[in-house]
Amino acid sequence: MRYAYYPGCSLTGSARRLDKGLKKVFAKLGHELAEIPDWNCCGAFEFGDRRALVELSKTNLEKSKALSAAEAGVVAPCPACYKNLKEANSGTARAVYHPLELLNGDLAGSLNIKKDLKGQVFTPYYGCLLMRPDETAIGDKEVMERFIDRLDGEIGGTKVRAKCCGGNQFFINKWATEKLSHIVLNGSKGTIVVFCPLCHMALTSFSKNRKIIYFTDLLLYVTGDRTAL
Amino acid sequence: MPKIESIAELAGYKREDFAVCLGCKICGSVCTINDLSVAANPQALLLSLFLQRELTPDDPVLLYCTNCYNCTGACPWHIRIPEIIRALKGEMSLETPFEKAFKSSIKVWGRVYEPYVFLKALPFLLRGGYLAYVTRWKEYMNFHLPHKVKNMGHAQTKDSQDRKDREDRNTR
Repeated sequence: MRYAYYPGCSLTGSARRLDKGLKKVFAKLGHELAEIPDWNCCGAFEFGDRRALVELSKTNLEKSKALSAAEAGVVAPCPACYKNLKEANSGTARAVYHPLELLNGDLAGSLNIKKDLKGQVFTPYYGCLLMRPDETAIGDKEVMERFIDRLDGEIGGTKVRAKCCGGNQFFINKWATEKLSHIVLNGSKGTIVVFCPLCHMALTSFSKNRKIIYFTDLLLYVTGDRTAL
Repeated sequence: MPKIESIAELAGYKREDFAVCLGCKICGSVCTINDLSVAANPQALLLSLFLQRELTPDDPVLLYCTNCYNCTGACPWHIRIPEIIRALKGEMSLETPFEKAFKSSIKVWGRVYEPYVFLKALPFLLRGGYLAYVTRWKEYMNFHLPHKVKNMGHAQTKDSQDRKDREDRNTR
């Protein structure tokens, strides 16, 4: 399937690893991510004007139309971009997906698995926007758990999986992010698996020695593209 | 004091939409801010807006909202409180230099070009002790050239025109 791809600002910079990993994983599954030409920022959380915010994503949806069929629609990995695009897309026939919605089902069966996760502990961490609000949340909220379980990995930290890391306050009130991130770090076990670039940055900044990886890193590890996590 | 109609409109609501609030305060019970040992009462904020009471910029909800949407998820009416807070923050000019740099980048480039934001907000980042994290941010520092977006659609013109319309209405 050919999907229109909206990387969003952070995946072209600080979260470049997530961008590269995602493209590799989709290629392994036989899908193409065709980047929307001249895409603009979705506005993230920085617009108090909802109509202006929606306009930004409508422009991106318009630019994506030539790239993919309506049922394939747009793939947006950053949870904030995904939420904004999905809201702007409301009521249309076109689809907006978070990659986790496409990496669901029998993902382990579709990938050429070379390593299992036996003896390793993981905390799948979703944070806020993949889980709330209902209108834009992903449908399958345990996709990462199922994948890890299928490959015999141990799952921990279930109490913090949907807690807020405070990443949005990082450049506003740093102490607030530090406190909230520590709640997540202290309640988690083993390697923390995230999808949100902001969660990755907040948890990485405030953890001394914890391993914080993207879900795509995990997928590339079990398929043999990465030698270590 | 921002006018309630303006805030409601900015967040995609009408004033009467807030009248459905049952006062159950579940928004406060589930608010992430509680984890900061700060009392959160988003319901009081909604009531203040509805009754056009004075709002102070030091309201903890305005200061610390993380946009986690716990409140919206728990609210019987799914009121999008974080978006109301965002509208208020914008109208009350409560944005930090980093948030201003972020928005400035969207205006200049059409995207958030991280090196631009970082440099523009550098005095704020230095004062705030953010450079202490640089060693942990190595993987985030991928230098790339900026892309200037050619077509922003109606987004940019709409923002400034809407603001002007609201200001005109408020002064009338």
